[in-house]
Formats: sequence, structure tokens, C-alpha cells
Amino acid sequence: MDTLIQYLQYFVNGITLGSIYALIALGYTMVYGILKFINFAHGDILMVGAYIGLLTYTALLGSSTSAVWMLAAFFIAMIISMAFCALLGMFIERVAYKPLRNANRLAPLLSAIGVSFILSNGAAWIFGAQSRRFPYPFDDTPIVIAGLSITPHQILTMAVSVIMMIVLTLFVNKTKMGKAMRATSLDQSTSELMGIDANKIISMTFAIGSALAAVGGILASFDFRVYASMGTMTGLKAFVAAVIGGIGNIQGAMIGGILLGVLESIGAPLLGIPSALRDTIAFAALIIILLVRPEGILGKNEREKV
Amino acid sequence: MKKTIALALVVMLAVTSLFANGGSESTAADADTYVIGFIGPLTGDNANYGIRCSNAANLAISEINAAGGIDGKQLRLIAENSLGTVDGAIAAYEKLVYSDNVCAIIGPVFTSPALAVAQRCYEDGIVMITPSATHKDVTSVGDFVYRTVPSDSLQSEVAAHYFYEVMGLRNIACLYAMNDYSQGLATGVEEIFTQLGGTVSAMETCMVGDRDFRTQLGAIRSTDAEAIYIPNYTVEDAQILEQAYQLGMNLPFLSSDGFSDPEIYNLAGDFTDGVIYVGPAQAEASTILTDFTAAYSAAYDGDLPDSFATNAYDATYILAAAIDRAGSADRQAINDEVKATTDFSGANGIINFADNGDMIASQGVYQVEGTTPVYLGSFQVVDGHIVQVD
Amino acid sequence: MLNFFLLIIIYAGIYALMAIGQNCITGNTGMLSLCHAGFFCIGSYTTAIMCKTFGLPFWFSLPVAAIISGFVGFLIGVPTLRLKGDYLCIATLGLGEIIRNIATNVNPVGMMSVPRAELFGYQFSSRNKFTFILLIWFFVAVAYILFRQLAHSRIGRAMIAVREDEVAAQSNGINVTKYKIGAFILGAGVGGTAGCFATAYTLTVQPSSFTFMVSVMVLCMVVLGGMGNLAGVILGAFIIEFISYFPQLVGLSSVIPAQASQIIYGLVLVVMMICRPQGILGRDKYRYGDPRTFTQKLSARLPGRKKEGV
Repeated sequence: MDTLIQYLQYFVNGITLGSIYALIALGYTMVYGILKFINFAHGDILMVGAYIGLLTYTALLGSSTSAVWMLAAFFIAMIISMAFCALLGMFIERVAYKPLRNANRLAPLLSAIGVSFILSNGAAWIFGAQSRRFPYPFDDTPIVIAGLSITPHQILTMAVSVIMMIVLTLFVNKTKMGKAMRATSLDQSTSELMGIDANKIISMTFAIGSALAAVGGILASFDFRVYASMGTMTGLKAFVAAVIGGIGNIQGAMIGGILLGVLESIGAPLLGIPSALRDTIAFAALIIILLVRPEGILGKNEREKV
Repeated sequence: MKKTIALALVVMLAVTSLFANGGSESTAADADTYVIGFIGPLTGDNANYGIRCSNAANLAISEINAAGGIDGKQLRLIAENSLGTVDGAIAAYEKLVYSDNVCAIIGPVFTSPALAVAQRCYEDGIVMITPSATHKDVTSVGDFVYRTVPSDSLQSEVAAHYFYEVMGLRNIACLYAMNDYSQGLATGVEEIFTQLGGTVSAMETCMVGDRDFRTQLGAIRSTDAEAIYIPNYTVEDAQILEQAYQLGMNLPFLSSDGFSDPEIYNLAGDFTDGVIYVGPAQAEASTILTDFTAAYSAAYDGDLPDSFATNAYDATYILAAAIDRAGSADRQAINDEVKATTDFSGANGIINFADNGDMIASQGVYQVEGTTPVYLGSFQVVDGHIVQVD
Repeated sequence: MLNFFLLIIIYAGIYALMAIGQNCITGNTGMLSLCHAGFFCIGSYTTAIMCKTFGLPFWFSLPVAAIISGFVGFLIGVPTLRLKGDYLCIATLGLGEIIRNIATNVNPVGMMSVPRAELFGYQFSSRNKFTFILLIWFFVAVAYILFRQLAHSRIGRAMIAVREDEVAAQSNGINVTKYKIGAFILGAGVGGTAGCFATAYTLTVQPSSFTFMVSVMVLCMVVLGGMGNLAGVILGAFIIEFISYFPQLVGLSSVIPAQASQIIYGLVLVVMMICRPQGILGRDKYRYGDPRTFTQKLSARLPGRKKEGV
């Protein structure tokens, strides 16, 4: 019984960890779906979002201890941070990626790495190298149900990632804008012939993706802390999650994220190997999944045309 | 195509020579300055350790210069970024020793770069004092290599004896990161604690930079350990404390000098109460440490030094005293004088060097009350038993 | 300052070897791989273990490192053949991380005090940089010549055909599997030898040196120099190393904050890519959308028809 509880707890931990990956993977998947390139700077936008969120939240809160205002300040800070990151994402796209849109597909990858260097080191310069704590805007006493504990912020993270997934799916499938995005993703030049302003669509995708990164960054910083290089490994894991689920697919990002989190959490004790090998388990799982399904779990298998 | 290559090379050389004039002016060791080098990670994941140490060394140097320097000569510190890697540390070393002609080096901060640089220092005959590389092999490279941080074998010996003899623990668990520092301490404590008759019921591992420790904590919870030893860096320790609380665990935590970083109270201040950690000893009736902490905080916007920064501060003063006694920038003479350091009174108490360059010092034990570490005294292991020194 | 410049040339030589290997996989055969850090790690450890633990001469470790990393390249190549583009990229990245993760778990401190490389009683010491430069660049030159010949041979043309159009290559009777795996083995083997020289220079191996950023940097060198262009990727390696150590070379690093050097590095990357997205020397001549027919393109490659085909 104790062992069962223990493993159930690992499972719960895995889902909460995975929902952070999923939230960030959503942003990755959006940008990739349109432009088909790995935006290495996505993780660093997440970091900027976390810093902006932290700074605005602390500034708004001041010395107030009112529970309502704490929650309100948190959501205002999140919106400000989303707006800031959306602008930042659009700016980066305009400056560093747009000139490379017709170059070979590795050129923007390099440009993205350059942007990532600038952002993470710029943040370390401005904010210092130490980690910071994002104070909980609500009482974060763990809730214990049948021997399993979970904290309110983890429930919030899960809820937000599910809501974001649903909203994004509806947006992409049901709105005119979403239709334009899908068209651009399918074939940019043809969609331009149909009167779609592809530049505007791409800009907007970056804005949405970066705003999602800001939300992900703020929610991740409860668990991961805020520091200048937080985007690198978190971003990488989120990307892995997006690929497992089938990159470009919104529900896939969610499934991939949760799966990765659960594997990381439960893999080492299940196999009886040291926990420090959890990355090996995560990446090995990635490779095995890709070998079985080369386009990810929900990815579309595109037949190559001769 | 050849033109392009030639053009690129010419541009590079031109840019280099353009800066070289300006650069050499500031880097040449002129006759009335002693130049000391510093190597540490100034960017990247663990930059806070490098930045704090270089800040502390800079503070010591400006204090010495304000007091008139050494025989009227000023000291100058050139801090180079190691990026925390071997390649970066070697490059920083080459720059300091051959371009800047420094007379001694403080650093590197982490063990692996320290091992690489120590070998070069030994061959080139230049003094290196590391404030934080704890691995036992660092000083075994040879002469010219010193440290102002206790070797992890010394710290783990005191820690294990303290846990077993003073605290009366018989069964502990370890949760440590796979890096030289944490692994050295954890395996050292495991070995000695079992020799004493205790049981280590879990040795859980993680990677540096991990942020989720709930799996390891869950595994420890299923054992009957009485306490958890977490010899890690600040951020990892903070995460472990908080996640243990989230999982409803209330075992006491034990830690190492990595816990001496006051940052821990910002990150996990709600959960630090009751943690016992082994850190640097404090000299009785000495105000050097409190003066240093105050000066550091004033100089760097209220930031507080950790124990490695304190070690770097001591290292700088030891070096300055050695240069003073040597009376020149001669590297061999400085080495002789550093070796001859006796009963140096620093922020970390009385410091002597063993023949191999290791620091001989007692270890302090602290217990955190709320967010304030309370000093429980300094300890040494004599004939297999722990003895309180003062 | 001259001394430091020599150091950059040594580091550039080590990375040039890796970039040549990466170019074989990515530039010639068109597979986006991100695990050169893993091959580099294997090569470094091979030299360290053979020279330190078994006391064998450095020269023995070179072929052994090449064979072992080539074999790992083979192991990576076979299962990942089914993957394309970014899926391949992320799978190989995962493998690189697995290699590093396992190395860290075996021994996080790594190895130190590795004996030096020796030739007829002469020790290649880091204090005498000129001889070390001769050593490393001799091997870069050898690799350059070999891979240049390879690119101009039947095998090289087959690789390029695979890169340009896999299906077309297959229907022309090219065994795609064979060439893809072959490219992985060769690229990995060269990457492994780069690790040997790195160990011979620093005499220390540390698992945390082999992060995926190393792979990314090597890929950058290839893209920056010009994909498939051997002279280009060597130049790319030199430029990337030059930029990353430039502040230290000219003494700026002690004047400006450490982060500023890194920011400048990032800016240079972005600006260079925007100005010359095809790489400094441009890609080799088989660009997609090239108006010439496939046979014309191939014949332009034949040695003798056109001088300086690269």
C-alpha cells in the first residue's frame, strides 16, 4: 500500500511537472507550425517574461498584504508581462528572423541562437546572476488527499495549461485568423495569393507564442525560480515535449509535456536506477517514441512526394 | 573565394590591432602595480559564485590600496571569465599569465577548471589560491597550488562525526548533485558515518541545475532515515527544502558550506528553520568577518557574501601579505612566502597551510533559527573523536 | 597577446576538425544532427583513459577514438534513419545529452593529469604553442584533403544526391541507407579525433564541457562558413573561436562586464547571418533551385573540369 501511494505520488508529481513543460511547448509548437524552424530564443523569452512578471508583481504589490489585491496584482502582472513579451517576440521576429525567411533553413536557427545569447546574458547583466523567488500570490499550503499531496500553484499550472490548450485549439480551428494561420502554415506563397498578409500572420504568431511563453515563464518560476539561464534547459525540455507530441500540433504539445513529466518523475524509481539519470530516461524515451512514430504521437505522417 | 578569406583575415587582424593599443595600455604590468589575476565563472548557470568571489577579492584589493598599497605600490585585480569550463579556464589562464603577466592567481572557482589550471600553475611556477575548489585532488597536483577552503575530506569528516557523536543520529539519507563538490562531500560523509557504525539508508542523486527533487524525496521518505544530508549549491538546497515541505516531509535537514550563502533565506526562508550545516569556523573575538560582511554589503548594493566569497577575501589578503614579504613580483618568492604563511588571521579565523597547500582549519557548525544561522562552535576530529575547539 | 592568438588558433584547429565532421553529416548529406558534443566527449575520454589509465601513447588513442566514435555514429545512424529534419535533429540532440548525462554519472569530476602526447621523445606541451599548432593543423589539413577527395568522388556525389533529393537518389540506384550511415560514421570519427587533441592540450576532461551548446556551436561554424564548403567550415570554426575569445585577446575582457562580451558574441552571430545567410564563403554549388540540371551540376564537380571547385 505504501509503495502504491509512493508511486501514485510520483505520478502526480510527474503530471504537475509535465503541465509546465506542456504550457511552454504550446508556444513552441505555435511558432514551429508556421515557420518550421526551431526558435531557440523561445526559452529566453520565457525568462524575460518571468522577470517582467516578477518585477511588476513586486512593484504592484508594494507593502500590501490584502489577499484579493495579491491575486489581482498577480494577474495584472501576468497580463503586462504577456504584452511585453508579445512585443518583444514581434520585434525579434522582425529584426532577426524576417530577413532570413527565404534563406536556407539553418540560417534563422543560428540567428535564434545569437538572440538567445543576447537575451540571457543581457538579463544576467541587468538582474544579476542569482536566482530569485516568485512569491506565491495565494496561500500555497499543500493539499493532502488520500496520502497524496499537491499544492495550489500546481493545480493552477495544470488548469492554465489545459485552458490555454482549449483556447488555442478553438482559435486555430474556429476563427478566421486561425484559418489564415493554418493556410500560411500549409503554403505561404499560395496563401499570399489568396489575399492573406503572411507577414502579419507570422508577426501575430510570434506575439501569441511569446505571450504564451510569458505565462509559462511565470508559472514555471514557482517551481523553477527566476534566473537568467532558466530558459535554456526548460526550453529544451519543452521542445522535446513538443516533438514527442508531434510538433505543430496543439494537443500533441499537451500530451508530450505530460508524458515527459511523468517519465522524468517515475522513470528512475521504476527502473531502479539513480535519479541523476532522469535526463537519460527522458531522452531515451524521446528517441524510442520517435522511432515508433517518426512524426511524434499526434503528428501527421506526410508522405514524401516524388 | 580566396579573396574573401584574405579579406576576413585582414579585417580580423585590423580590428585586433586597433584594440590592441588601447588594451595593452591597461593590461601591461607596470612597475608600480602588482597585478593579480582572478579566474571564475562570471556568466552562465553558476555565475553567482564567480561574481561573488571576484567582488570579494576586489573589495580586499581596494581596502589594501586605500591603506597605501604594498610599499607604496598599488594592487590591481584582473578578473577573467572561465565560463565554468576547462577550455574557458585555460584561456583565461593564458591571458592572465602571458598577456597580463600577473604575479599570482586567485581561483578557479570550480573543481574541474581548478584541476586543469593547477597543473599549468605548477608547471609555470605561479601561485594559485582557490577559494572554493574543494575536491581532494586539487592540491595534490604539486607545489604552487593552495586553497582557502577546506578539502571536502576534512569537511565530511567533521560533518559525519558531528552527526553521529554530537547529534546522536544513527540513520541518515543523502541527496546530492552529481558534481565534484556535492559528490565529494556526500560520499565522504557516507564512508565515515558507516565506519562509525551508522547507516546511510539512501544515497539519492540529482544533476546540478535540476529543479525537481520530488522523486528523490519520495524515495527517501520510504526509508526510515532520521535526517537528510544535502551538501549542494544554494538553489538546489532551496528547492529541496521547499519541495520536502510540499510533500509533507518534516525530517531535519543537514547541509554543508554551500548553505552559508545568505541567498538561501530569500529563496526558501520559510523552510530553513532547524537546518544544521557545517561551514567555515569563526575566530573568537574577531570582527574581521562582520566588518567584511558590512563592507561587502555596502559596496555591492546590499548583496551579502557567501562563505566562498569570504574565502576569496582571505585569499587576497594572504596573497597581499606574501607579496609584501617577498618585496617583489617574483613568482617563486611569492610562492615561498605564501607557503610560509603562519597563523594568518582572516575572516574565517586562523588560517595555516599544510605542506600540500591545503588549508588547516577547524570547521564551524551552525544551526539556523528562522532565517538566522546561530554559531554552535568550531570542531576538529582528533583521534577519531570530535572535539570542540572553542 | 601573440601567445593568446596562438591559443585561439589551437582551439580553432580542434573545432575545425569537429566542423569538418559535422559538415560531412549536415553539409554534404543534408542530415541535421546535433550530437557532435557527444562524439567530442567520447574522443576526449578515449584519450584520457588510454593515456592515463593504461599508459598507452597518445597516437594509439587517435585511431581508437575515431573507431569508437565512428561506431557510436553508426549506432546513432541506424535507428535515426527513419527520422527527417527537425525530428532527426532533436533525436540526435537527445543522444548527445544521454552521452553527457552518463559520463557525469560515472564520474562528475572527470579525469586530470593526462600524460602529454609525445613524438620521438618530444613532448607536445601547451607551453610551446607553435609545435602544437603544427600538430593540430597538420591533422586538419589531412582531414581537409581526405574529405575534399571524398566529396569529389563517387561516394561524395552520391551523398550530395541524397541531400538534394532522397527519392530521386534512390530511384537512380543510390543506396540511401548506406550513404547516410556512412556519413554518420565518418563525421563522428573525425569529431572523436578532435576530442583527442582537446585532451592532449588541456590534459583534463570534464563531463560538463560537453553540453549541447558545443554541438550548436559546431553547427554554427558549418552554417556560418558555408554548408558543404570545406574551406568555409574551417574558416567558420576560426571565426567563431576568434569572436568568442576576442575580448580576452585584446584585453577588453577585464574592462567590460563579462556578460557584455557574450552579448557582443550574440550580436555578431545575428548580424553575420543576416548579412550572409548562405555563409561567408557560400554553400557549395549544389544549391536547391540551381537552374543547372543535375548532370551539369555533377560534371562541374568533377576534378579537372573546373579548378577550385570548392
